[in-house]
Amino acid sequence: MRKHLLALGAILALSPCLLAQKIGVINSMSGPEAPIGENITNGIKLAEEDLIKKGIHVQLVWEDDTGKPQVSMSAMEKLATRDNVVGVVGPYTSACSNAVARLAEKYKVPLLIPAAAKEEITRQGFKYVFRMNAPADKYASSLIDAATSLGKPRTIAFIYENTDFGTSTSKTAKDYVAKKGIQVVADVAYPKGSADYRSTLAQIKSKSPDLVFMVSYVADAILLMRQSREVGLQPQAFLGAGAGFTTAEFANERAVSEHVISCTQWTEDVNWPGAKEFGKRYKARFGKEPSYHAACAYASMLIMAETAKASGGDRARTRDALKAGKWNGVMGEVQFADYDGFNNQNNHQMLVEQIISGNYETILPSRFATKKPVYPFPRWK
Amino acid sequence: MAVFMQSLLSGILIGGVYALIGIGLTLIFGVMRVINFAHGDILMVGMYLTYIAFTWLGIDPFVSVLVTFPLMFLFGGFLQKVFINRVLKAVAQNQILLTIGLGLIMSNTVMLIFTSDYKLISTSYSSSTLKVGGGVSLSTPLLVSFLITATITAALYWFLLKTDTGQAIRATAQDREAATLMGINVKRMSIIAFGLGSALAGTAGALIAPTYYIFPQVGSVFTLKAFVITVLGGMGSVVGAMLGGILIGVTESLSAVYISSGWKDVVVFVLFLLVLLFKPSGLMGKSRT
Repeated sequence: MRKHLLALGAILALSPCLLAQKIGVINSMSGPEAPIGENITNGIKLAEEDLIKKGIHVQLVWEDDTGKPQVSMSAMEKLATRDNVVGVVGPYTSACSNAVARLAEKYKVPLLIPAAAKEEITRQGFKYVFRMNAPADKYASSLIDAATSLGKPRTIAFIYENTDFGTSTSKTAKDYVAKKGIQVVADVAYPKGSADYRSTLAQIKSKSPDLVFMVSYVADAILLMRQSREVGLQPQAFLGAGAGFTTAEFANERAVSEHVISCTQWTEDVNWPGAKEFGKRYKARFGKEPSYHAACAYASMLIMAETAKASGGDRARTRDALKAGKWNGVMGEVQFADYDGFNNQNNHQMLVEQIISGNYETILPSRFATKKPVYPFPRWK
Repeated sequence: MAVFMQSLLSGILIGGVYALIGIGLTLIFGVMRVINFAHGDILMVGMYLTYIAFTWLGIDPFVSVLVTFPLMFLFGGFLQKVFINRVLKAVAQNQILLTIGLGLIMSNTVMLIFTSDYKLISTSYSSSTLKVGGGVSLSTPLLVSFLITATITAALYWFLLKTDTGQAIRATAQDREAATLMGINVKRMSIIAFGLGSALAGTAGALIAPTYYIFPQVGSVFTLKAFVITVLGGMGSVVGAMLGGILIGVTESLSAVYISSGWKDVVVFVLFLLVLLFKPSGLMGKSRT
């Protein structure tokens, strides 16, 4: 059956050789993840324009997975069997990507995941699954590496929301600090949406940790920092692992967000080719700041479309070309490599940022730095 | 010791605001015997009023209580007159369904207008503190809200004890039929009681707004808390609700430190069950049918 499908796919894909290649897009265009899905959609739209300029005509087949894995899977089935796409870019969330990855392998459709964090996705030995962004373990390791390169922290306190996102991110972080010889003095999972974290923070303060590592979405991120200031929690650095700590809303809370260290996949200040222009174009076109998801999706679509075109729309050849290729663009150098148990994983360089004068400034790695880091965290006023 | 004092004090302060929510609910229950499941949503409306006053008109959240209180009073009175008064004689399930429905309408209307995004009110004092000494610091906005809560509670107490209307409300709460026979306009007392209850919930919303975040479903967090507080203190007892509120605030705060943040709700509910087990009518409640 698979061979039949493959043959059918090859015939169908080869016959209209002069026509545009079909590429599938699965994205969370509605549902709770829609705000981030919008960034991905817009990034892909910009990529489409650039492809046309380059004379590469692709036909995009859009599928909305509403953020649900089961919808994502049926979208993938449809793209693989009915639309006969050469490759697929997407989906957004970790849960959807993990579900769709299996199908991509089953139908032998090259899948390029732009921005899903769960580590396991590219750790299952799949041949047809590629990932652009750095997985979750890099968040923790890049933040902790930043702290150890700036100072000599000996103790760390963890505070994170007791959801999948919070516990899994802090778990990799805990494993990592164990290797680095940093002692965990507090480990607190909090229920999302409590009005009062003061007592928990006061308890953490009594252990006087050198580092405070937090995993939260935006509302709790602001609340935690406000109440840290209230109780006078004073570590060498506040490390915010993703989500809430890298939003414009958080940076706007100048009184509490200043000098918090966080990390991201991409910023427009970084000197990767085209990053600045991409940011400008995005803002001019959509009237909003692009998130890193937009850049990830843009780069993913360019790579997928160019490779599909060069491979004449053949899925297996596209897969081989993705595996062998090397690119340099808005996401820096991209190469899908096998390392540390990952397959076809772009070993992406995470950027460590610090909020300085209300702006996110890249502080590490130093070759990308836009500002000098402020360390240790200044005393609360 | 500093940790203990810190969590005890912030527990008492946050408990003061919980008490305000509980008093509103207990007042409504006491007078009407209606369990108001829309209480948290009324609080949420109060939060959004504060948000509007702050972002559009630039009124400080604490000052906006002066606007929120009467507006929410009118809103509560309207709800009572148009909806709740009609089901006072209906079976309890129908009353509950009505209040749940009203709550859903409120939260969804707000969601339509403001979307489900989190809103934050950032004032100059949102994270400022007052050092008490011994390494203990108190949140200024929380302290101010505690003082406002105390003032309002005292005023309410005076109103219920000393004024004619207050006495009429208490008479209605004690025995509806007897109050009617004494020439008390029971329907009007119900409207005033629901109005007051809503005003208190709305005020609590306004007081929480500068230190918490605002979203359309925020009510459910507080509806549940309000119930625990009211039942713990004794349904219908204002003093009980105050005690219950502070007790819950302190328990949450201390158990977050000495047991675990994730388990603090469990501790609260275990305490709740224990109180009910040994004193089924609540701390200050008088059992009556």
